[in-house]
Amino acid sequence: MDDLVIQVDQLQKSFNSLVAVDHLTFQVNQGEIFGLLGPNGAGKTTTIRILMDIIKADAGAVRVLGNPPGVARERIGYLPEERGLYRGLRVDETLVYLGQLKGMSSPAAKKRAAELLARVELAEWAKNKVQELSRGMQQKVQLIASLLHDPDLVILDEPFQGLDPVNVEVVKDLIRDLRAQGKTIALSAHEMSQVEALCERIVLIDHGKAVLYGALADIKKQFSPNAIEITPPLSFDGWVEVERTETHDHRQLIYLTKETAPREFLKKVLDRGMPIEQFEMASTPLDQIFVQVVTDGRKTEDG
Amino acid sequence: MRKVWIIARHEYIVNVRRIGFIFVTLLFPALGAVGLFIAVFFSGQATTLLRSQFATETQKIGVVDQSRMFTPIRAEFAKRFVAFDDENAAKQALLSDQIGAFIVIPSDYLATGKITSYIKSGLSGLTNLGSGDLTEFLVSGLLAGKVDAAYLTRASDPVELTPVTLDNKGNPAKSGGFSFIAGFVAPYVFSIMLFIAVFASSSYLLRSIADEKETRVIEIVLSSVSPTELLAGKVIGLGALGLTQVGVWLLSSLVLSGGLGALVAGAVLVLNPANFMLAALYFLLGYLLFGTIMATAGALGSNPRESQQLAGIFSFAAAIPWFFASVFFANPNATLARVLSIFPLTAPTTMMLRLPLGGVPAIDVIASLVVLLISIPVVLWGGARIFRIGLLMYGKRPSVKEIMSALKSA
Repeated sequence: MDDLVIQVDQLQKSFNSLVAVDHLTFQVNQGEIFGLLGPNGAGKTTTIRILMDIIKADAGAVRVLGNPPGVARERIGYLPEERGLYRGLRVDETLVYLGQLKGMSSPAAKKRAAELLARVELAEWAKNKVQELSRGMQQKVQLIASLLHDPDLVILDEPFQGLDPVNVEVVKDLIRDLRAQGKTIALSAHEMSQVEALCERIVLIDHGKAVLYGALADIKKQFSPNAIEITPPLSFDGWVEVERTETHDHRQLIYLTKETAPREFLKKVLDRGMPIEQFEMASTPLDQIFVQVVTDGRKTEDG
Repeated sequence: MRKVWIIARHEYIVNVRRIGFIFVTLLFPALGAVGLFIAVFFSGQATTLLRSQFATETQKIGVVDQSRMFTPIRAEFAKRFVAFDDENAAKQALLSDQIGAFIVIPSDYLATGKITSYIKSGLSGLTNLGSGDLTEFLVSGLLAGKVDAAYLTRASDPVELTPVTLDNKGNPAKSGGFSFIAGFVAPYVFSIMLFIAVFASSSYLLRSIADEKETRVIEIVLSSVSPTELLAGKVIGLGALGLTQVGVWLLSSLVLSGGLGALVAGAVLVLNPANFMLAALYFLLGYLLFGTIMATAGALGSNPRESQQLAGIFSFAAAIPWFFASVFFANPNATLARVLSIFPLTAPTTMMLRLPLGGVPAIDVIASLVVLLISIPVVLWGGARIFRIGLLMYGKRPSVKEIMSALKSA
């Protein structure tokens, strides 16, 4: 039980007649990067706000770091989806204030703020007012604010929203570093492709319900075809192992029969000296898996 | 509590250095200093100017006496009144500014008491008539030659009142100027200060909350502190800001009054400490109550203007007792006064108006204090819950149903 950082059991929350969270259950383990994924309006932010004790659930049980929501605030770093800063304050003043609210002393908050600002290459902007920073810079400052107090659990709601590709990679590197330090990270995103490479376990939410939950690798294996992808496209006419092929932009997807192990097929291809430049196991993108699951689910509901 | 003080300190420091706050805070003392400067250096010219605008006493009042009881004008009134044979003559004199006004006393005046007065347009004409002079003129005309001169003098100026207030044991209360100021003026000053502090602080509270909603920083803050801590911190911090502003204004008025105000303030504290302490207590409790309500109103509004409108309703409630001040003066223990003393929104101002009049039953004081001491935590509790849902609603206001749901939730 100590390894469970977040436990959510049959969580429910409605706003008037809108059911935002519908009997949601999931757990987040110590030290992992967990993805709370789903389209806009799925209930991710509502769930996160309940975890942070910003709003109250209608029903269900929630434990965060072994406590009810709101108890362990100072051990949690939070980056909300609707985020902002005090525009008229200096960057360092803002970070020190937010650090103090998390239980840090003023000197400790100042020192840590300076370190993190240097880490994201904003050290020279510390004395500037927040409104003088570009949007991307402000978002980095917001991220720093959530990490200032060295939290055990970091919850990031749409951390890549509004970031350019360079800064997306900066943030991803930061998340990986946190993971390496033993922190637990729970992040939400609606663009699932951005987090596929980061998350170890996920819950996919649609209309407040969990439609997929578990280790990402297992989910992708379950929904990915028995196929490999190669470059450049080659001819496999007459191969009994091959059901069919598809070619897109110089990449060829080879669908194998159920009995054919991809490893064995590749070995045969290489033994024949076929001119393959690249190959990899075919993997269905998470958003396609999501669409498939949701579509199938709706077909089932419609009977 | 630690986080409450962090928030309070942050709010105070951030807002006390705003240009707008500094400007408004220093504006009144500056205006006072300018007024003093004008008074000192231009007093002679000002006096002449004021006299030329308002020197009504030098202008005579015309009398058209159809009753034949008041003319010819007696010598002692010749400087103030002048007789005319008919209305036309008097009218011409008025229009040419030879007189400030004229009256027509009809032939049936003795039976009806009715007199018609004529003035030129503008307020100065009304003061021209000077009701005290007119009464004396008419009484003298009615009784001259019919009563002894002493009776005539007394009838013209029948009373010079010396009020004596008795305490509950029937003993006269301390008399004298300072005692009057200590017992009477101080609570009124506190009630006015409450009003100003509530208005001043509420605008900062509303702005602070509206800013945090607008910039979306509120959610980061709510992830670190509870809504109750946030609400309490803002009320204390921005209340201190409002009090700072009021304090600067009071201090400047003490300085500009040449220290007289300080002398009065000192006398107030020494001569009637009970009223002074009670007034200060009602001020503090009143501010805490209204401050919490204002902050909640700030969170409810979908935009800053709406928040101001919502807050204005409660500011108005603080002023309601002033509308009934005349009732309190006539009977400080009237049912209305006692009811308003135990309704939380009107209790602070009502008690501050009743206290100086004396004779307020101790049970009323105790009941009003108890009501306030109970109301403040209740308002804080409810306000924090409404605060929580209101703060995250961007661009729309929580419905009544949502508010009730927030109050009921655990």
